[in-house]
Amino acid sequence: MTSTLSVTDAAAPATTGGTRSFARLLPSSSPKLIVGLIIAGVVIVWGIVGPLLVGDPHAISTNAFAPPGPEHWLGTTQVGQDVWAQIAYGTRGSLVIGFVVGLLATVLSAFFGVLGAYIGGVIDEGFALFTNVVLVIPGLPLVIVIGNYVPQNQRGLFLIAVVLAITSWAGSARVLRSVTLSLRNRDYVAASKVSGEKTWRVLAVEILPNLIPVMASQFVFAIIFAILGEAGLSFLGLGANNSFTLGTILFQAYNDLALTQGAWWWFVPPGLVIALFGCALSLINFSIDEIINPKLRNQTRASRKAWGLTADQIQRLEKEDIK
Amino acid sequence: MTITRKRLLFGAAAVAASAALALTGCTSGSNGNSSKAGGTTSVTLFSGQVGNFTENFNPLNNTGAYLQPTNGVIYEPLFYYNKAKAGKPVPLLGTSYSWNTDGTELTVKVRQGVKWSDGSAETTDDVVYSLNLVSNNPGLNTSGTEWVAKKTAADTVVIDFPTTSFTLEPQILGNEPIVPQKIWKNISDPTKVTNDKPVGTGPYELKSFTPQSFVLEKNPHYWGTGDNAPKVDQVRYVSLANADAATSALEAGQTDYMGAFLPTLKSIMSKHKNLSYSNSPQATTALFTCANVDLGCTGPQTDPAVRQALYNAMDRTQLDKQAAAGFSAPASSSLLLNTVNKSQITDPSYLEVPQTANVSKAKSTLEADGWKLNSDGYYAKDGQELDLTVNVVSGWTDYDTICQLLQGQFKAAGIKLAVNQMAQNAWSQAESTGKFEMSMNSINMGVSSDPYYQYSAYLASSATAKVGTPAPSTNTSRYSNAAVDAAIKQLATTNDDSAKQAAYKTIQDQIVKDMPYVPIYVNSALAEYNNSRATGWPTQDNQYAFPLPWGGNWGVGIVLKTIRPVK
Amino acid sequence: MRFYLQKIVFYVVALWAAVTLNFLIPRLMPGNPVDIMIAKMGAAGQPITAGTRHALEVELGGSGGSLIQQYGAYIVNLLHGNLGISLTNFPEKVTTVIGQALPWTIALVGMATIISFILGIGLGMLAGWKRGSWLDNLIPVTTMFQAVPYFWLALILVLVLTRVLSLFPYAGGYNVATTVPGLSFQFIGSALYYGFLPAVTIVISSVGGWMLGMRNMMVATLSEDYIVTAEAKGLKPSRVRMTYAARNAVLPSLSGFAISLGFVVAGSIVTEQVFSYPGIGQLLFTAVSNDDYALMQGVFLVISLSVLAANLVVDVLYGLIDPRTRARS
Repeated sequence: MTSTLSVTDAAAPATTGGTRSFARLLPSSSPKLIVGLIIAGVVIVWGIVGPLLVGDPHAISTNAFAPPGPEHWLGTTQVGQDVWAQIAYGTRGSLVIGFVVGLLATVLSAFFGVLGAYIGGVIDEGFALFTNVVLVIPGLPLVIVIGNYVPQNQRGLFLIAVVLAITSWAGSARVLRSVTLSLRNRDYVAASKVSGEKTWRVLAVEILPNLIPVMASQFVFAIIFAILGEAGLSFLGLGANNSFTLGTILFQAYNDLALTQGAWWWFVPPGLVIALFGCALSLINFSIDEIINPKLRNQTRASRKAWGLTADQIQRLEKEDIK
Repeated sequence: MTITRKRLLFGAAAVAASAALALTGCTSGSNGNSSKAGGTTSVTLFSGQVGNFTENFNPLNNTGAYLQPTNGVIYEPLFYYNKAKAGKPVPLLGTSYSWNTDGTELTVKVRQGVKWSDGSAETTDDVVYSLNLVSNNPGLNTSGTEWVAKKTAADTVVIDFPTTSFTLEPQILGNEPIVPQKIWKNISDPTKVTNDKPVGTGPYELKSFTPQSFVLEKNPHYWGTGDNAPKVDQVRYVSLANADAATSALEAGQTDYMGAFLPTLKSIMSKHKNLSYSNSPQATTALFTCANVDLGCTGPQTDPAVRQALYNAMDRTQLDKQAAAGFSAPASSSLLLNTVNKSQITDPSYLEVPQTANVSKAKSTLEADGWKLNSDGYYAKDGQELDLTVNVVSGWTDYDTICQLLQGQFKAAGIKLAVNQMAQNAWSQAESTGKFEMSMNSINMGVSSDPYYQYSAYLASSATAKVGTPAPSTNTSRYSNAAVDAAIKQLATTNDDSAKQAAYKTIQDQIVKDMPYVPIYVNSALAEYNNSRATGWPTQDNQYAFPLPWGGNWGVGIVLKTIRPVK
Repeated sequence: MRFYLQKIVFYVVALWAAVTLNFLIPRLMPGNPVDIMIAKMGAAGQPITAGTRHALEVELGGSGGSLIQQYGAYIVNLLHGNLGISLTNFPEKVTTVIGQALPWTIALVGMATIISFILGIGLGMLAGWKRGSWLDNLIPVTTMFQAVPYFWLALILVLVLTRVLSLFPYAGGYNVATTVPGLSFQFIGSALYYGFLPAVTIVISSVGGWMLGMRNMMVATLSEDYIVTAEAKGLKPSRVRMTYAARNAVLPSLSGFAISLGFVVAGSIVTEQVFSYPGIGQLLFTAVSNDDYALMQGVFLVISLSVLAANLVVDVLYGLIDPRTRARS
């Protein structure tokens, strides 16, 4: 939330008029970005391919609480299920939730944030009011209650995703609205309006491209939020029904006393996968941030040098810093 | 204002805090669990309470929301009915009782010389008052029958019933707390009072209460003497959020008495020599089926042959080992317990359900009924595949495991099983209203081990309703059988053992044939004890009271007055 | 004037929405308290006879009348501060039950949020001021902690610090055997000791967000013209950092802080479960799993109101410290 907020104000001045090369939209290839993309890529590929490579995650054996070994790479659960196979399916489940929520939340926030702000007037006021009200309704408790309300046999992955999306778009919508409001009043938008461009065309050509980096960042955040939210919900036993996610594995592990058994192989890996994936997305977001907010890029010591400070002065400044 | 100063200040605060922590750490380490702080002996009990305690010591309301020690420890009934073993009721505030021949009049001799915990005398009038209080209050009287108690002599109470009521005996004698008239006559609504200063006759009385923990102390006016009097000075009740915390507390020696299913119990016991446990299997875990087409049930399980096939297709040895950690006991197809109720099981073949799967028998049962294997390896009839759904509460791990295992076991017999994990409230609603095919649940003993309570609650037509309407009692399978109804009625109206035995036979013959509840095993009920501060806890072989420290178990009072401090 | 009118409309609508949602949700949920109660009584070996259901219905009281009538009664009760009777804690009032749990949550999560905010803002400011320093490079690491499920972090901490090393207690709010709640040094010390691990979990998993936000705002602010001017004037760097840069950079974080204080009540449901902490989170969880509608509504109301109140504080604060907010109208 904090990061999203900081994005608001930072994004407002990020504009260019006339010529802009598309290349500037692409993240610069910093080490952060590369590491982030590699980790995220590995997790995603694992989520897609993994379940095809492992055995049945439900299969019960008499080999309970077996530590990791050649037969079970990550040991077994209390009823002898293979943890490695469960994690493959769980990763897939969590990723599905993450991406579905990411997409839905982005679409919802764009609809309420961008459209309202662009049209203005009563619709904007109404949308803004609605957004703000949704924002103050507490999310997790609502999700818990809705999750409990939904008919059990329909409480699949997709439904949990929809519920999470419904409670998570409002913050992004508020940010998008303020960015759109500032864009709407730019000269080049006014110019294209005056020159008789159609409304949808102004929106699509002049405004949306400027929003893409912000929305990309929000999308990435929504994925992290959704995966964490689902894990929390599942951990309370209110998650998706009859399907594996990393959260349901953690729930099972905790419920079956993996902790007191010292069966670390059961509850450490699922959390690690979530942490790794979330970390990778954060790294990607750093790079997106730098596109949205050019100031994050140029304000380095090198630029300070460009102000004409001597090496002496810089050293003095550094000493000050250390104090 | 500079950041440096702020950080310094914050650092100082952190140091102060950690110093405080270190101090308390020391104190709690040195005397936190001492049993003899200042010469008083104390045990700690975990009753399964999750979250804060609510200060509610009202022994009368039915919601079970009263605190655990209210029934049995602070308040006592007239007699104690031990469900863990067969035998006569133990006299508490009553000393003896007798019925008239047609079961309409129950005469009770009341113990004399008993005092309330405030020191005043408990009298026969209090007993009369307490019994009538329940009878006259529709919110308290769960029996559906109104009775009238009156005092006929200084130590005698006679209770009159409108009809034959042998079966109400354990309810009235063993499940109604005797409360002081002088206090309760001033309470306008006994269902809604929290009674935060309880005055009872039990072995312990309330000493102090906080929402996180409360302490009972020995009742100095208790009527029992010698072995029958409480010997440990204090009992502390604590709350823990889950099995994980409970296991830690047990291993760390921070609880002395608790009742939790711990799958790893055997390894815990072997690591800690001062711990012991007892297992009192009591509730029969079964596949509840919505069995009765006439009342609106739908699905393949309405066919008795399918239910028989399920019964034979189960490999119960595997279920016990993997779902119950080996702690369950074999069930009986009579749905009674083959331990406590052994003499009431009327045919040796009903004593124990098959422990291994008999796939060929399951298949031949189905084939004889017209089911045929299809190309997918499942049976089908009239174009409909033998595809069943079982509801189970997600998070009840042992049941979840059973369902997963059954999926595989049934598949071998050509039966497809879908497992539907759901939240507890949705699950209980589906079962109560009959909108389910099968449901994992357990058959519980009633107020005593008398089979009547189980049979009338789970099999009588009066205990069920049409699909769509909640069952008034627990007959959620919608089972309805005129012969069984007649036999249950017979049980309710006779005190004659041979007549009862004949009725049991009728019922058992019918349900073994109809199988509305497919028994799996008798679920474990584990209680754990720490013997380093107190001894004399129940053991596996000597369950002098039903030992689980749950709300509503009157036996806890017996356990707490039996244990003695370690010298 | 229009600005204030908008705000007032917002608060009225939000309050109404919260209250109405609160009314509707439990009524849309499946299950019925009497069923749950019968299931529980059965499991505890209580007799279930044909009269049981009737007695329970009498005892618990049915919710009669049409939906509109119920809604009216609900609003009237609410205005009287009457949140009904909790079923799981029958016959205790919901307000009493919440009153017992609330202080624990506010103390634990509130303290943790404040510590996390101060720590994050301080470190973020330094990282933004000295871009490329080791502290700045630490940012991705702390952000990583944000991506860790906090209950999982809690589990790991519990495993290492209470199981392996026995440094901290495994559960509860304070040592119930040696202390009683009160303003004694011993009790507060014990509560701090028991709250330490949950608090550390919350701080570790949330400090990264504050740090990143502050650092980015700091960097952005540092390239403003007035900072360049200030540096050119030769002001002391510490003065530029604190008075010119940090003061302006902290504004968005401050509003985030106020809002997150509002979420204090709702934010720790899962953590409280892991640590058996006697707070609101555990209460809500018990209420949901037992169909305790009244308690659920009460907890929900408290959460919604605290979030709204926090928003109000933000609005008022912003109006005071940032004149541009008012000028917009």
